[in-house]
Amino acid sequence: MNKKSAYIVGIITLLIGLWGFYDRFAYGHDHAAYGSVVVWGLWVALYFLFGGLAVGCFLWASLDLLFEIPACKGTGVKALWAALITLTAALIAIAFDLGHMERFWKVLLQPNLHAGVAEDAWGYTIFGGLTAIALFRAVNQKGKDGVLKVIMVLGLVVSLYVAGAPGKLMGVNAARSFWHAGMLPVQFLFFALATGAALLMVILTFADKKEKLESSLSILHPAAIILLGINLYFTWSYFSQGIAGGMPGIMLPAQEIVSGQYSGLFWGVQIMLGGIVPIVVLALNGKNNNIPLSGLMGLCILLGNGVSRYLILVAGQKVEMLPGMSQAVHGPGLTLTYSPSTSEWAVASGLVGLVILGLLIGADLLLPMFTKSRQEA
Amino acid sequence: MPNEAALLDKNASGASGVTTAPKPTGAPAAKEDVLFRMRTELARALKKNPRERRWVMVIDQRRCIGCHACTVACMAENKLPPGVVYRPVVIKEVGMYPKVTMTFLPRPCMQCENPPCTEVCPVHATYTNKEGIVVMDYDQCIGCRACIAACPYGARTFDYGHAHTDNTPEVGGMILGRNTADNYERDANVEYGKKRERKGHSSPVGNVRKCHFCLHRLMAGILPACTTTCIGRATYFGDAADPDSLVSELINHPNIVRLKEELGTAPRVYYIA
Repeated sequence: MNKKSAYIVGIITLLIGLWGFYDRFAYGHDHAAYGSVVVWGLWVALYFLFGGLAVGCFLWASLDLLFEIPACKGTGVKALWAALITLTAALIAIAFDLGHMERFWKVLLQPNLHAGVAEDAWGYTIFGGLTAIALFRAVNQKGKDGVLKVIMVLGLVVSLYVAGAPGKLMGVNAARSFWHAGMLPVQFLFFALATGAALLMVILTFADKKEKLESSLSILHPAAIILLGINLYFTWSYFSQGIAGGMPGIMLPAQEIVSGQYSGLFWGVQIMLGGIVPIVVLALNGKNNNIPLSGLMGLCILLGNGVSRYLILVAGQKVEMLPGMSQAVHGPGLTLTYSPSTSEWAVASGLVGLVILGLLIGADLLLPMFTKSRQEA
Repeated sequence: MPNEAALLDKNASGASGVTTAPKPTGAPAAKEDVLFRMRTELARALKKNPRERRWVMVIDQRRCIGCHACTVACMAENKLPPGVVYRPVVIKEVGMYPKVTMTFLPRPCMQCENPPCTEVCPVHATYTNKEGIVVMDYDQCIGCRACIAACPYGARTFDYGHAHTDNTPEVGGMILGRNTADNYERDANVEYGKKRERKGHSSPVGNVRKCHFCLHRLMAGILPACTTTCIGRATYFGDAADPDSLVSELINHPNIVRLKEELGTAPRVYYIA
């Protein structure tokens, strides 16, 4: 896919999204499919995905801007820009999900810092600030920049925290046995690293000076293979224990994913397309860095990881809190079933469009503009 | 919630439209209705310092016939829209044919002493008030629904802004459809002692909602709607800190159970199984 095609995809997805944004603002949650049983749906899954991407990109940027690994030279600024764009998408996704998005400021100014949602909000705010400062310093860098190093160290620490924060938000929830696993935050960290690597692989596909970036791929490809392997191991551990343990609150959602309604998504997209296929293709590709193929595998990894967040999130809520509850009450949103509505998909499309266009415009206009003005100065 | 106490005090004096219950008079007949006793005990409890009371609900599953009167009374009292339910009755079929029976489990908010829902609220919009009741501050709630996910009893629902008259036909000159027939739905309820009309997207639309033991009625000396409406007298309510109260007697019986006690939530709703 060339850059022009990417622009077209970005514009089309954003246009679809504009209808979704209008629908959300005009009708609130009227056309959303989530309810009072499955309370968090596609938008929260996208928040996890984009939030993880942002953190993953920052961590990869640190290889260039903090650790100065020669093979990663030149990727740091791009990765930081990607972190900012995906973080913006994550925050829009979660804002749209709120019942009163106009009260979002309360999370920052009147927070209950013991609550996972408030921790996430503050974590991502600090992370976003550090990323913006780091990006500003990086594009205006003249020689060694001690301040940039300090910012990157702080950002690294915050990143490691916020990478696992959504996992903690779910993991501390004792009412949902499926999520109540100590390793969930760690899984989210590895998901973030894998998706960050995948997004960079996609971004590098559209880079102008490919010869300079092939060395980055020589790091990203083996890293992606290892991270995907770790993710597959986590997935196997999570689901095999859940099913073998036999506790209904864990076993039933796990079975729903592995052999029930979501088995096609799980095996076809998460495991094969987002895990085994990229591992095999990247491993067979070896040092012959086929850049378009690398980008395609990056997309596969992103899709697989997106599906994995969605499945863990949604399946964990499709459990009756008390046996018979789903039959006791009837009404909108009082059902165990959930499939994203057209309106939810439209918003998701818009967010993807924003990310695509944000990355392209950043690469083509903003970052070169900053660099040029610095050179002129 | 800063204004809650003042609002509830107003309610107690009948300032916001809630009828104050007539004061119980004299000794009841030899076999008094438990409602009479509970109302007397409620009046006694209200004279105490709020922190010295311990409101509990006891539900006798053996007496519940699954009529759903409590569910309906609760919906009427709090003007609940579709999709918002404070007190469903969970029906369970037990046994195998021909020996089949049904059990009924009315499920209000458990008003846990260690509520997992309040800890996860990012803005302190839900908390245990001085009465020991877990309440919602609708003006503070951002609608993130983390508390719904955290409640092990499924006792919270989200108000998506639906109306019972949604999608009903509008016919000019007739009392049909939303524009003419849903005045009842638009009318204010008095949850937490504050009148709130359902207008547009203003709270409680976009908020999480839950049972609050009819706090506005309690402060006016009236028992919760589910308790007074229970035709089988299967729901009991009162101050467990009063050793002479009916609920104190009941919760000290050995056949009392609380749901999911293993989670350490310490519910204030007890079941006689």
